[in-house]
Parts: sequence; structure tokens; C-alpha cells
Amino acid sequence: MANILQFFVQSTIRSGLYALVAIGFTLIFGVGGVLNLAHGASILVGAYGVYFSVSVLGLPTAVGFLAGVAAAGVFGAILYLGLIEQFTTEPIMVMILTLVTSIAVELLVLNTAGAQPVAIPQFASGNFSLAGTNVQFNQLAIFVISWVIIGALFAFINYTRTGKAILAVSMSEKGASLVGIDSHRINLITWVIAGALAGVAGIALGSQLAASPVLGRTPLVLSFSIVVLGGIGSIRGSVVGAYLIGFLEVFVIQFVSSDLSGIAPLVVLVLALLVKPEGLFGRELAE
Amino acid sequence: MSTDPQSSSTATRDTVLSVSDVNVSYGKVQALRDVSLSVGEGEVTSVIGPNGAGKSTLANAISGFKSFDGVIEYRGSSVHGRPPESIVESGLIHCTESRNLFGFMTVDDNLELGSYQRGDVAERKSLVYELFPRLDERRNQRANTMSGGEQQMLAIARALMSDPDLLILDEPTLGLAPIILEDISDGIDAIQSEGVTVLLCEQNVTFAMDHADEIHLLENGEIVRSGSPAMLRDDDYIRESYLGG
Repeated sequence: MANILQFFVQSTIRSGLYALVAIGFTLIFGVGGVLNLAHGASILVGAYGVYFSVSVLGLPTAVGFLAGVAAAGVFGAILYLGLIEQFTTEPIMVMILTLVTSIAVELLVLNTAGAQPVAIPQFASGNFSLAGTNVQFNQLAIFVISWVIIGALFAFINYTRTGKAILAVSMSEKGASLVGIDSHRINLITWVIAGALAGVAGIALGSQLAASPVLGRTPLVLSFSIVVLGGIGSIRGSVVGAYLIGFLEVFVIQFVSSDLSGIAPLVVLVLALLVKPEGLFGRELAE
Repeated sequence: MSTDPQSSSTATRDTVLSVSDVNVSYGKVQALRDVSLSVGEGEVTSVIGPNGAGKSTLANAISGFKSFDGVIEYRGSSVHGRPPESIVESGLIHCTESRNLFGFMTVDDNLELGSYQRGDVAERKSLVYELFPRLDERRNQRANTMSGGEQQMLAIARALMSDPDLLILDEPTLGLAPIILEDISDGIDAIQSEGVTVLLCEQNVTFAMDHADEIHLLENGEIVRSGSPAMLRDDDYIRESYLGG
């Protein structure tokens, strides 16, 4: 019984982080139809934004968090305006550009901060016991932040004028233009939001594991598995996919072998592509 | 009757839209050749012609979706190089052949987005629901679950939500059942009676003649006949080719 409770606590906390990791990735695909291979780079920018702000520049931790999120959001804007906007009708070119960007950011971080992992401040310190399992307050904070962000994103998209315009562009870019929506502006906003969300994910990951120049790689693969399982372009699907994969990973760690935990998302990715390629929720953001 | 497109423009009326010597190409294929026409204030001007004649290309060029050579002026200002949303802002609204609805949204949400640049959503919405009661009955239905005819009504209704000064209707009757055609026809009459200027691109020549004040026949990207419906009804070529003799 204690094992089961432990399993649920660990899975729930891990899944919250995974949802945070994947949601920006699916948002960009849903709205712009772009498979953003630089998503891991945005995660890296968020984590190292905090590291440079706090550990190098000596800014207060809270300011460092804001700087990390802002840096990832600005990175998203630069990526869209500088590269993606000119190639929106050429998906292969976009994939190559985002992949090259991802490698370039890794190398930049490697050359400026070194290969050694660096510590990222935690959202909260200390720990407590829940259902017989030791839970860090930082993990709880990440879980809460994840759900606050998911809730805020749902509310923003469904109940604000700009959010509805994002939905409109995702369903029909021409239809959006016909009613006077500037789809370039909406795409830019989406890239900024997705970048900022990836930044939060980067800070969360870094605060748990420390950050290294390859911090963004695993989350990128994870994002692929989650959004393919949930339905590429579906925010709801990404949240559900994150929870399914989070629970599966913890199950493998706890009841099979911790060595196999990294393989679980890849197996899910392949199975999802073979059995239900449209994912659990299809593409709710798009026509 | 005039067979010279240039001479068809009415010099005395207020011109809302003026198209002069417009050429459009898709790669090496020329879709429009030296097309010229004008649309007068409060009138319904129709461009008729067979499938592939260039009607949708002309509509897309006017509303900013297709680049062109030549001059297109709306209310005296060139639309050349302007993005579609900027043209919408100035009151020129395009209801496309493919409708481009927001399929996963309800009728209500589609209409609300139609007023994206306007505001006064509630007032406009009650007007269009009055015009198309069938949509009122389906206000919470997703657009992609509606019939083709209902989707066409929704596309026109969404265009009306923008409070258009000039409305381009591209093939509003394409593939519609006769009963829906009546609703669309009544809708266009109502739009016309509100004083909205309409450019109707239409394959259904009888439908166009029933609604238009002036008609231009487009074939292979060129305007080959222009005149009033009464004049064109007497044209042998039109009668034989488009009105079944």
C-alpha cells in the first residue's frame, strides 16, 4: 500500500513537470504548424538565464527567475522574427534551422559556462513526508506552478480576445486574416509564450537536477513522446500525455528497473505512431 | 451593349472599387490579363465565368491575398502591398469560396471573431441571426459539423459581423441545395437593401443576373463582356454559352 501511494505521489509530481515541458512545444505546433526542435534550447536559455542572473551577476533569486523566463521568451521572439517567419511554408527548412539553433545554443552555453553542471536556485527549500515518501518543497512548488500555468493558459486561450485569435489562427490562418487578425503578430505572441513556458520548465528542471549544456535534450525527446501521444497541437492532450508518460516512467523505475525509465517514453512514441498516429485528442488547435 | 470592359464603368456614380489593367500569374500561367472594372456605391457588381476563369484570383488580389501587377483602388487608396488584415480594417471584407471558417469553434464564436476589429458584437450578432434564423438555431454547434449550406450562411454572416462597406462574395451558391440557395439569395437581397456594396463572383449566371446591377463576364483571365443583366441576357454568346440557349 505504501508503495502504491509512493508511486502516485512521485508520478503526480513528475507529470506536472513534464506537462510544463511539453505544453510550449505543442502550442507552437498547433498554431504555426512548426516542429520546433529548438524547444530544448529555450529550456536551456531559461535555466542558464537564472544561473547567469543569480550566480554570475548576483541578482536576487526572484529577479533571476523572472530574468530566466524573460530571456526564454525573448529567445522565442528572436527565433520567430529572425528565422521562422521567413520560412513558414517550408517545414523542412524550419526543422533544419531549429535544429541548428539548438546545437548553436548548446555550444554557446558550453563555451560561456563550461561543461560542468551548475546549480540553479530552487523555488523552495526543505522537504516533507507524504504517504511515506519524501517530497521536496521544491517538487511541490513545481507541481503547483505547473498547474497554475496550465490553468492560466487555458483561461487566456479560451476567454481573452488574443487567446481566441490564437485559436483562430491555429484553425485557419486565412480565415483569421479574413476577419482582420494579424497572424504574424499572433504567431509572435505564441512563440514568446511558448518560449517563456519552456523557460519555466528549464528553471524547474535545473532546480531539481542542476543544469548542464545538454539539459534541453531529454525534455525535447520527452516533448515529442508526450505531444504525439496526446495529439500534436492539443494542449489538453499534452497535459494528459504528460501524466500518462510520467506515471509510466515512475512505474518502470519503481516496479521494473530504473535503468529502463528513459526508454519508456520512446516506446510510447513508437507505439502511439503505430497504433494511434493522430494521438488521443487529435489536433484540437487546428483544422 | 458594351463588349469593351473599359467602357462599362459608370462615370457618374461614386466608385467604391476600381480595378485597372490588373495582371496576375501563377508561375508561368497567367490567371488574369489586363482586367479592369469598377464597383459603384451601393451596387451589386457581379463577375461571372466558368470554373478556372480567374474569379477567385481577382477576389484574392483585391483583398490582399494575391500579389498583382496593375492598380486596384478601394475608396481611392491603393491596396497594393497591403496585408489582408489592413484591408479588412478599412471595410473591405472578403467571403471566400472555401469559406475558411474556424471549424472547431461554435457558430457564436465564429461570429464573435467576425467582429474582431469592430466591437459592438451583440448588436451585430442579433442582426445576422435575424438575417439567418437557421444559424440562430445552431449557435452552439461547431462549424465543422454543419452542412455545406449552413457553413456558407455562417461564412456570409461572419463577413457581415465586420460591418462591411464593400463585401466580396466568392461563389456563395457553389454546390448548395435549392432551399439553401433561397436563404442565401434572401440574405444577399437584405445585404443590398442595407446599402452594402457587393462584388459577387459567381458561376451561377442566373443567380448573378437576379442580383447584380452590372455584370462582367470573365473567361480565361480576360473580361470579354460587360453590361447590365438586361443587356447581357440579349447577348447571343451569353445566351448560348451560359443560359442554355
